[in-house]
Amino acid sequence: MKVPVSWLREYVAFDWPLDELARKLVFTSCEVDRVVRRGVPDTDGNLRHFLVGRVLEAGKHPNADKLQLTKVDVGEAEPRSIVCGAWNFGAGATVAVVVPGGVMPGGEFTIEKRKLRGEVSDGMILSERELELGQDGGGIMLLAGDLEPGTPLADVLPVGDDILEIETLYNRPDLTSIYGIAREVSVLTGSELKPMPGTDPARDGDEVVDIRVEELESCSRYIGRLFRDVQLGGSPAWLKARLVGAGMRPISNVVDITNYVMLGLGNPLHAFDHDKLAEGRIVVRLAHAGEQLETLDGTARELDPGDLVIADGGRPIGIAGVMGGANTEVGASTTSVLLEAANFEPLTVLRSGERHRMRTESQTRWEKGVDPELAGPAITYASQLLAELAGARWSGEGEVRVESPAPAVISFRPGYTNQVLGLAVPEAEQRERLEHLGFSVAGDWSVTVPSWRARDVRRDIDVVEEVARFRLEDVPLTLPTRQAMFGRLTHAQRLRRQVEDVLVGAGFFEAYTYSLQPSDPDPNAIELPVPLSSQQRLLRTSLSVGLLGAARHNVDVGNDDVRLFEVAHVYLPQPGTVPSEPWRLGGIVQGDFFRAKGAVEAIFGALHVEPRFERALPVANGPVGAAVQSGWVAQYGPLDVGGDWSAFELDLAELFALVPERILYRDVITYPPLREDLAFVVDEGVPAGELIAAIRAAGGEELRDVRFLSDYRGDQIPAGKKSIAFSVSFQSPERTLSDEDALRLRAQIVNALAAQFAAALRA
Amino acid sequence: MDSVAAVDWAAYEQEAIAAYEHAGTLDEHSVVNVRYLGRKAPLPQALRAVRDRAGGLELNSLKARLEAAQHAAAMRIAQASLPDLSGLDVTIPGLPVERGRLHLLTQIRREIEDVFLGMGYEVWDGNEVATVWENFDALTTTPGHPSRSINDTFYIDDDTVLRTHTSPDQIRAMLSRKPPLYMVSPGRCYRRDTPDATHSPIFLQVECLAVDRGITLADLQGTVLQFFCALFGEDREVRMRTSHFPFTEPSVEFDVTCFICSGRGCATCKHSGWIEMGGAGWVDPDVFRNVELDPDEWQGFAFGFGIERIAMLRHGLPDLRAFWENDLRVLGQF
Repeated sequence: MKVPVSWLREYVAFDWPLDELARKLVFTSCEVDRVVRRGVPDTDGNLRHFLVGRVLEAGKHPNADKLQLTKVDVGEAEPRSIVCGAWNFGAGATVAVVVPGGVMPGGEFTIEKRKLRGEVSDGMILSERELELGQDGGGIMLLAGDLEPGTPLADVLPVGDDILEIETLYNRPDLTSIYGIAREVSVLTGSELKPMPGTDPARDGDEVVDIRVEELESCSRYIGRLFRDVQLGGSPAWLKARLVGAGMRPISNVVDITNYVMLGLGNPLHAFDHDKLAEGRIVVRLAHAGEQLETLDGTARELDPGDLVIADGGRPIGIAGVMGGANTEVGASTTSVLLEAANFEPLTVLRSGERHRMRTESQTRWEKGVDPELAGPAITYASQLLAELAGARWSGEGEVRVESPAPAVISFRPGYTNQVLGLAVPEAEQRERLEHLGFSVAGDWSVTVPSWRARDVRRDIDVVEEVARFRLEDVPLTLPTRQAMFGRLTHAQRLRRQVEDVLVGAGFFEAYTYSLQPSDPDPNAIELPVPLSSQQRLLRTSLSVGLLGAARHNVDVGNDDVRLFEVAHVYLPQPGTVPSEPWRLGGIVQGDFFRAKGAVEAIFGALHVEPRFERALPVANGPVGAAVQSGWVAQYGPLDVGGDWSAFELDLAELFALVPERILYRDVITYPPLREDLAFVVDEGVPAGELIAAIRAAGGEELRDVRFLSDYRGDQIPAGKKSIAFSVSFQSPERTLSDEDALRLRAQIVNALAAQFAAALRA
Repeated sequence: MDSVAAVDWAAYEQEAIAAYEHAGTLDEHSVVNVRYLGRKAPLPQALRAVRDRAGGLELNSLKARLEAAQHAAAMRIAQASLPDLSGLDVTIPGLPVERGRLHLLTQIRREIEDVFLGMGYEVWDGNEVATVWENFDALTTTPGHPSRSINDTFYIDDDTVLRTHTSPDQIRAMLSRKPPLYMVSPGRCYRRDTPDATHSPIFLQVECLAVDRGITLADLQGTVLQFFCALFGEDREVRMRTSHFPFTEPSVEFDVTCFICSGRGCATCKHSGWIEMGGAGWVDPDVFRNVELDPDEWQGFAFGFGIERIAMLRHGLPDLRAFWENDLRVLGQF
């Protein structure tokens, strides 16, 4: 919200410097983004360059068809010669002038005396837009004719203002108005808050306004006032300046008044052209199926039976709290106005706004909850302004109202504040602060909540916050006093870090890829009903798609030797409940199957788990792949990025379940090992892994290690066969193994392999 | 025996040492070895034959002296046979050893975890898919609260969302075990933000929750200070400003003094001297009631902040999309 400071000062006279006020508000009340200057800068006497002028002569510029050459009296001995591009005035007009040396709004541009097409221009005649007083830049601004030339412009126009740009919190709808902020400023600075503005004009007429509210739950109050003899026109400069300063566009006096009162007091209002109301009446009801409404933004909208609408005798004329309809818009021909001041429930307005994807100033206030007592003061103030600024005659009124609930009374303990803050706040201070905020505090500390805070302050802890927020800067720094204390990673968390570190040591870079992916290997992957984009529509069941995308991106930007891994959740659908989210480890590497497999073996090795690979095809179109405990490793088929790529993915919970709880020491020092190389001829199809497993089983306790050395096909090997060589070592923790032991162990292995795989030992 | 005893050991030693000193090659060195220390040389023979303690000690000590001379000679010969590397360019890179990098966000996440582990907190891994009850209702978020909007939150169905913050882990943690509870929960969160330099629909947050008897906002402020001193260096200051979150009351935003300019004002802190770090507050008593804890007995504080923000501030990254692109040229910098 943008708060013109001159407006704020109308409600509270404070003497703090603005910067100090802004700094303090940030602690106690709301975010203050910045303090900016609207309009003419007020530094170094700049305002003295902005003057009232009277045009003495005006005629076509001799050398330019689109320019006027004028003589303007600005209260000096001689009139000034000024070249001007506007044609909406002539001799005799009273205008706003800036003379050379004046710095224009924005602070960037200084007016200088110069020649335009051969004629001297000794100043500039100003438009509303140039003064940031309105949108009208089509012609220059015409002032009242009775103003004396040379009068400082600042004396007759709000040529500049300081603006506080604040962001209000969701729980403070009372701060979406200048008056609400003034109340906060008065508490903060100890200055007096002036009474709310507005006095009803004299009622002239007794016309009945027929108002019916069908949905009292959603609309607990509706006041409709009828005004006749309305003179529609532009708003005075001060009002326009206020609206522009607050970030709204001036439209016409009637519309501007509704906006002005909304900004000033916080209650959104709406003005209907009464002559356009069918049967001249108002019905607040739910929309009927199939009803349509063109809203003031020019959009035709299909109404939903959940939309609360304002209707007349026949059709909807507005979406309650969101936007009025074009069918009853106030316009140039309007002479009778029905002014609405109501109280709408937040959820009703919120849902309509969501359904129609609308965001209006009115809606944002209703959504947070407007003070239910505010409709009365708001319509009073707007009525006064309509009478004063549009000559309107108040001729009738109708109102529907549900009895307001009694204000909440909270039983409070000032000691609670100290318990929450860890800081003792004197009781007298707490009472004074609460009362200044509009709460009433009884002798027994029962606290009655003002209507404008009723939604937020319902419990004693909410009352604590009202006191606490003014003392946040004084809260000390302590640490919890603990009875029990421990801090450690879980087993799985430690292993996860270990796995990451092993891969980093092996040359892999860690990647973060999106949990939401355009495709997934599992056709049952959960799909978002309303994704942000088709690229992020599925909750992944595998890390592979994201990693492939990351690899592709690296190739695209010219990186080579890409090795990536990721540790993250995947999301596996489970019937009837939220998905399970196991941790996965995925990797991708430029190179063939054995590069990925080597990484998997490094991980298993680090975790003391013996991997067992079985041929499988976990990746579509891949030439080779294998299943391993807890996951898979595979080479990809041809990819658009080119080259060989291989990948792996392991379920970390399954993998970690295989990790031995503790490693028992084996004596490998006292007695020396015996080493031997063994080569076997086997059928082509026999996997090395199975031979190794069989060697381990046959070797028993005394087999310490078996390593794959080579596999060979060639001259000395029959077709359809291969030779596989292993290095084995035997060792006993109890004695030195003899040559006889070696022979025995070797025979065990040879016999087992012969029996199981028809393996022949090569000499 | 006699022949051995007849050896003049002083002369033997003198000869042997002189021989070692004269040996100029490894071959000459082995000849000397055989002559004076080999199996059949007089000294080892005498050692095998000696029977008296004094004689044994004397011979052993002689052997040790000769072995020292043997070793010194061997080293001298090896040194002399080294190739001349005086001209070697030592600035030429060594043989490459492969290594990768942890992602910057993981480095920072671990650092955060370690600080909290040091303060006696547990690290909690929470699910990213949450029930509406966990993500909103139990955290006393009103039905009309804007965070529930379908324009802000990814719904899977009416009862299930992608968590919009790590705060549902507060609920899960408190349901899973009894206080005292001190936990920190880092993880992925999701909001319907269109990606740009400072927004991503997927982002990482850290939740911190302390539940114990007598916890105050002062404890929150002190903990936040400890944390940021650990992360951004000593001499930090923190401050709390009023804010609003559905599940804390009072709610605050906390700022830390800028670690770039130490509070003097710079571009990083937008010349305010302070950097906004996250939201926090005193756990709302109704949140305790929702997980069946008695708010008269248990109090708590919670705070949350973004990991990317810390990474961007500390390392000067201008665009958080870089975290998800995984360009090795970027990952390799950290």
